[in-house]
Amino acid sequence: MTHATSELDDIVHQRVRLGILIIAHEARRAEFGFLRTTLDLTSGNLGQHLTVLEKAGLVHIEKGYEGKRPRTWVSLTAAGEAALRDEITQLKRLIHQIERAAARRPRNSG
Amino acid sequence: MSMADQMSPSFGTSHDLLASTRALTRRVRDAQRGAWFPLALFGLATLASAPFDRYGTTRTCSSPNARGYVCSIYSTWSFIYWPTVLVLIYIVVASFYARRSRERGVGTRVTPYVVVGITIAVVLTAASVWLITHPSPSGSIVGLPLHPGSPLWTAFYRLVSPAAAIGLALLVLARIERNVALLVFTLGYLAIVLFLFSGRHGPVMPHPSPWDFLPRLFIDGGVLLIGSFGFALAGRRGGRSGP
Repeated sequence: MTHATSELDDIVHQRVRLGILIIAHEARRAEFGFLRTTLDLTSGNLGQHLTVLEKAGLVHIEKGYEGKRPRTWVSLTAAGEAALRDEITQLKRLIHQIERAAARRPRNSG
Repeated sequence: MSMADQMSPSFGTSHDLLASTRALTRRVRDAQRGAWFPLALFGLATLASAPFDRYGTTRTCSSPNARGYVCSIYSTWSFIYWPTVLVLIYIVVASFYARRSRERGVGTRVTPYVVVGITIAVVLTAASVWLITHPSPSGSIVGLPLHPGSPLWTAFYRLVSPAAAIGLALLVLARIERNVALLVFTLGYLAIVLFLFSGRHGPVMPHPSPWDFLPRLFIDGGVLLIGSFGFALAGRRGGRSGP
């Protein structure tokens, strides 16, 4: 039986990138500023993570203007939706495996 | 050292990740929600309909039979006021959510709510007009075995009212916003609309007052305005509690 950790995708499993995917999934479309504030990141740091996700084909980045203000919107691609679903499934599976192992342990072992 | 001990950092990390996932989901939903705005508009529109109910009333009675007359008392102006106002409100609500989405930086799929809301408003207005223009001498509704004046009979008439049209569409908004509190509020509102005292749709009204619609109006509008206030307050608190 493979352990759940072996199925985790390193690109998605990283905390900030997982946060970006979660927000984009919930919001359908999230603006750069909202992501930066919500995830408490600098613009540069967020930009780096977005580049990683975009290169992996997990997010779609759309740049435009609203009046004179430049705006960047991030949305999930179909691959991003699938990757996020897999990640959540694996996390739950991992927790379940460990809880089962802990339950099998003799209670007086500690 | 057991496997569980070896895995405990990962276990903690996985738990933390799932917990932060839920926290992020909550923050996005808080940013998306704006149900107080449509509730306020619908509440005000309900109260503002009073002159139309009072001065735009028409009474049509069938020829007398052994049990007396069967009369339909309805507000003609309401059939113009409500569809117009509901469509206008849904357009304003759509632009409110669109502007809010731009300002806050999170998308909200409000189009299904607007489309369903307008559809329900049009369909229920048409049904209401049909029921009034096709009164049954026995008082039954479209051949349904409903005893005139029974709670179900009254609920059926209330189901084609503008108040019910507002409530049914709010169920869609609760689904879109994934807002359990709004769902519970809407179900309570619909229960009040459909089942709380019969008002002017009661079967026996020997001397109906031209103002007998007011208690019902104040209850329907008041509940919507109280709901609006509550959701606005909850939204402000949610916003303040965020980082």
